[in-house]
Amino acid sequence: MSRNDVSRAGGGLQTRPSQPAQLADVLERVLDKGIVIAGDIKINLLDIELLTVRIRLLVASADKAKEMGIDWWEGDPFLSRNGRDQRDLDSRLRRLESAAGIEEGDGE
Amino acid sequence: MIEAPAAQAWYVYGVVDATTAAPVDDVRLVEHGALAAVVGQVPLADFAEDVLAERLNDRVWLEAHVRAHEDVLMRLAERATVVPFRFGVIYRELGDVTAMLRQRRDELAAALAHVRGRVELGVKAWADRARVEAALGDAPAGGSGGRAYLERRRTEEERAQRATALMTEIAQGAHERLLAAAVEGVANRPQPRELTGREETMILNGAYLVEDGGTALSELLRTLQDEYAPSGVDFELTGPWPPHNFVEPPEDA
Repeated sequence: MSRNDVSRAGGGLQTRPSQPAQLADVLERVLDKGIVIAGDIKINLLDIELLTVRIRLLVASADKAKEMGIDWWEGDPFLSRNGRDQRDLDSRLRRLESAAGIEEGDGE
Repeated sequence: MIEAPAAQAWYVYGVVDATTAAPVDDVRLVEHGALAAVVGQVPLADFAEDVLAERLNDRVWLEAHVRAHEDVLMRLAERATVVPFRFGVIYRELGDVTAMLRQRRDELAAALAHVRGRVELGVKAWADRARVEAALGDAPAGGSGGRAYLERRRTEEERAQRATALMTEIAQGAHERLLAAAVEGVANRPQPRELTGREETMILNGAYLVEDGGTALSELLRTLQDEYAPSGVDFELTGPWPPHNFVEPPEDA
């Protein structure tokens, strides 16, 4: 699959020929973006442990980023269009984690 | 041993114009008015409630299904305008798919109109902190003794702070310039190192909706690369993607 790798070789841009799209990019789009429709079967994506691990990594990263002062995309409603979702996810994630007794830093 | 045919369910990948030509491989279109849902059959057993949690937590299963979802959307997007659905929209009957199209008709038609003739491009900016700091110059002076040591530590700290400020400034400035070359754009949370597996820090994780294949944005990206590489920041372009980031109605709508 090369369609996701149009990075140009010219001009010094990084190029990654013949590699499939990075899994993180696909997960981010397919699990977190796109039109949300409730079908017949209830799939609670927040119940995916893998996903909660993933989200926790994002949360940890946000905290880390804040520490580093690189949090410019936070707080600006235009730049962080999904800020409200994220806060909702954060609080649901904390509830899930405390219910499951998951410690910070657990792997997958 | 002859097994009874497994119960099937309908998995919905997204929505296209009803005028769209024959869909890819083993997916089909379910039309309602000007809209058509892109659906494929999946074994109901895979998504039964008692096994679903286990399946979703099976890394191999999840990756295969998430990639399959994206793959169908990508192949569709090559020939038609598509509104991607989020993972896991499943119906038992085709009639329920039609009912969904009827209920969400206005929202789906508006989303289609918004992304028609446009694609999503991803732009990441990666900062190599060591290069960023080195580019700032004034390496800590040598010398020995307690006073020189303290002086050196102070210089190092100041330089680290300036590097952080510079990285933020570059990411924000690049995003603003990329927005100007796009119809719309969003800066998503940069992915953490645990996910990227890279030494460099991701300081921009942007998605941009562009027209004409994004020629203007690609050119701008080359400019940004030339401009900021000496400061230790490299840019990466991904896509075109189906417009996942640009089909949800605005929160305040």
